[in-house]
Amino acid sequence: MTTINHIREGQAPPLVARRVRSSRAPYALIFPAALLVAVFLVYPVAKVVHSSFRQENVLKPFDDGFIGLANYSAILRDDLFWSSLAFSAKWVGTEVGLQLVFGLCLGLIVNEAFRGRGLARALLFSPWAVAGILTTTIWILIYNPTTGITRYLADMGIGSYGTSLLSSSSGAFWAAVLAEMWKGIPFFAIMILADLQSVPGELYEAAKVDGAGRIRRFWSITLPHIKRALLIATLLRGIWEFNNVDLLLTLTGGGPANATTTLPLYVAQTALETKEFGYGSALTMVAFLILFIVCVLYLKLTKMGDDE
Amino acid sequence: MTYESRPGLTRRMHVPKRRTGARLAAALTVSVLTLTACSGGAEEVEAGPAEVVELTFWDTDARTGRTERLETLIGMFEEEHPNITVEYVGLPSDSYMQKVDTAIATDSTPDLITMKASDISALVAQGALAPLDDRIEEAGLTELLSEGMVTSARAAAGDDKIYLTPTTSLTDVLWYRSDLFEEAGLGTPTTWDDFFTAAETLTDKETGQFGYTIRGGAGFWSQFVGMVLPMAGVASYFDEDGKAVFTQPEVVAAAERYAGLYNTVTAQSDLTADFKVMVAQFGGGSAAMLSHSIGSYPDHVAALGEENVMAAAAFPSDENGVRVQAGLVLGFSAFEKSEHPDEAWEFLQYVMEAEGDGYWAKESGYIPGNLEVAEQDWVKESQPIAVSLEAMAEEDTVPLDHPYYLPEFSAITGTELLPEWQKTLQGEQTVEEFMQKTAVLFNEARAAYDARQ
Repeated sequence: MTTINHIREGQAPPLVARRVRSSRAPYALIFPAALLVAVFLVYPVAKVVHSSFRQENVLKPFDDGFIGLANYSAILRDDLFWSSLAFSAKWVGTEVGLQLVFGLCLGLIVNEAFRGRGLARALLFSPWAVAGILTTTIWILIYNPTTGITRYLADMGIGSYGTSLLSSSSGAFWAAVLAEMWKGIPFFAIMILADLQSVPGELYEAAKVDGAGRIRRFWSITLPHIKRALLIATLLRGIWEFNNVDLLLTLTGGGPANATTTLPLYVAQTALETKEFGYGSALTMVAFLILFIVCVLYLKLTKMGDDE
Repeated sequence: MTYESRPGLTRRMHVPKRRTGARLAAALTVSVLTLTACSGGAEEVEAGPAEVVELTFWDTDARTGRTERLETLIGMFEEEHPNITVEYVGLPSDSYMQKVDTAIATDSTPDLITMKASDISALVAQGALAPLDDRIEEAGLTELLSEGMVTSARAAAGDDKIYLTPTTSLTDVLWYRSDLFEEAGLGTPTTWDDFFTAAETLTDKETGQFGYTIRGGAGFWSQFVGMVLPMAGVASYFDEDGKAVFTQPEVVAAAERYAGLYNTVTAQSDLTADFKVMVAQFGGGSAAMLSHSIGSYPDHVAALGEENVMAAAAFPSDENGVRVQAGLVLGFSAFEKSEHPDEAWEFLQYVMEAEGDGYWAKESGYIPGNLEVAEQDWVKESQPIAVSLEAMAEEDTVPLDHPYYLPEFSAITGTELLPEWQKTLQGEQTVEEFMQKTAVLFNEARAAYDARQ
């Protein structure tokens, strides 16, 4: 039998050795990534699933233990779960809808040729680059009753002193919507602008020759070209807005009186504040299931992924 | 469990004969009375090993002035202990507990942390803190510290051990703008009626001037319970039968009176006001009165000047003449998993001795736990401390007994009740409904606690 010691320099290794080495190589290459996924994704998810069937509270370790589906049945009787779910739907619908409309309008505007277009694009996209916590800080200052906009309006005789949009249930919703829109619109504008620039100019010229107006050109040329970008951006933004915790947590804390508590924010409060990790895990599982079903339905309805 | 009525009090003024209740109820009174007692001297700190040890120190209420004071305190300690360095890490006051819990879960706790009695039971339940009883006794510190504060610190844990140094304590007071009172021809408030009258008199919504700032946002409970129970003359959350007092008629009436302040003599924005917002309003001149502990004195002085701000202790109740005084012990703790328990103890010992406690209490405006420091002139000269001590020394004054030993205390008073309180202020439910929910939550927590005993 030929051994490696008998192989002269420059000669290829025997076939068996080459096969063994080549069959192990992919596993060796994939191992680091697989390990990271296992540690940072598979284990946490498995832990959440496990905890969802248990009573777990670090402040009351004496009550910890397996409780089966009790957390899930408690969710069905939990008024705050249902109200936070309803608010999540309202929040996602309002945010994504408004961001889509304004993002589309601004994307179309900055796609036109005009003096100062570069500066306009930079200004339009800059909120997207601002850190979430900084965004909140900016808006908290704007809404501050003693140093914010309501104070200056009261000085001018408009409205009253000592008021804030954040200090009423309806006001807090629109205050949060405005703050999130400021940060979210650029995302739509960027996605749409990128797609707009790939539309061949000859199509518009041919349409003009055929007598098509601006609106007709938009409906017949622009919209079909950017449809895919709109669908992807809407899906991504919908998922992000559903999972939004940072802005609402820091701007309103889910208040006043739970008026701006989304389902993920309720999960965060349950786990971080009341330390009910078992119930919080069950809420997480339910939120994941809801989001998964909505995403599948969205993809089905929009026929994304189908060959056109 | 058995209870007995305290002589000289009305039928509702019961002090439970339980390990946590009785001790806590007596604690602050004893602490005040012993503040004037003689004290021993601080012991010499022995030199440690030659090798330099680095301790990590977490501050749970990082603010500019406080951070500077703590860094000075650390510098003083390091000067006395050249073999130890302390690394200061500031945490925000509204989210420190989440970071602490994460550190406990991941075995990455620091060596030292600033601590208050109300947080102790949550950390003790997780086995996170190191008990200090033996070390305090071995160091001979027992005789140097306020007995009342030691008792309060012990009662807060729920297992009859000391986990935080009884370095300082706070009492809740009513801060008022003495300059505005003078301009309006109002004297020093001495009754609850004086308070409500002043709040009305000093409110002028047209100019953005409000008589009072109510805490509707995060941390509302300490102001709520610190005003409502004293108004009703009730000093405990539970009556002689172990039932929550929040549905008692005089407590409900007091809560209605307190909630009635919102949007009549306060700003509408107070619905979400937290500590920072309240202090900013008071310091900015848009609120003439504020309920808070004596710990915010440096902030008020910095904003308004010492001559324009005064403190008033809780007023005697119209119901039974009893003055109920709310307070809280604050100190420092070491984590059980500290790799340098002996060096961490050196720091804890330093902040209980005259030099460390003297600096920290004086600069922070707190009541000192060290009996020698309590004799110093600045304690008598500090208006908020003096008014608190004077009130506490009265015969009819009773400390407010908070059941910090309940594991659910923070969850109930924070997460569970905050939205309910905001619903109440907005008129979405009555005060009575809010009080009923409050009573149910505390009754459930107390029943579970009693069942485990």
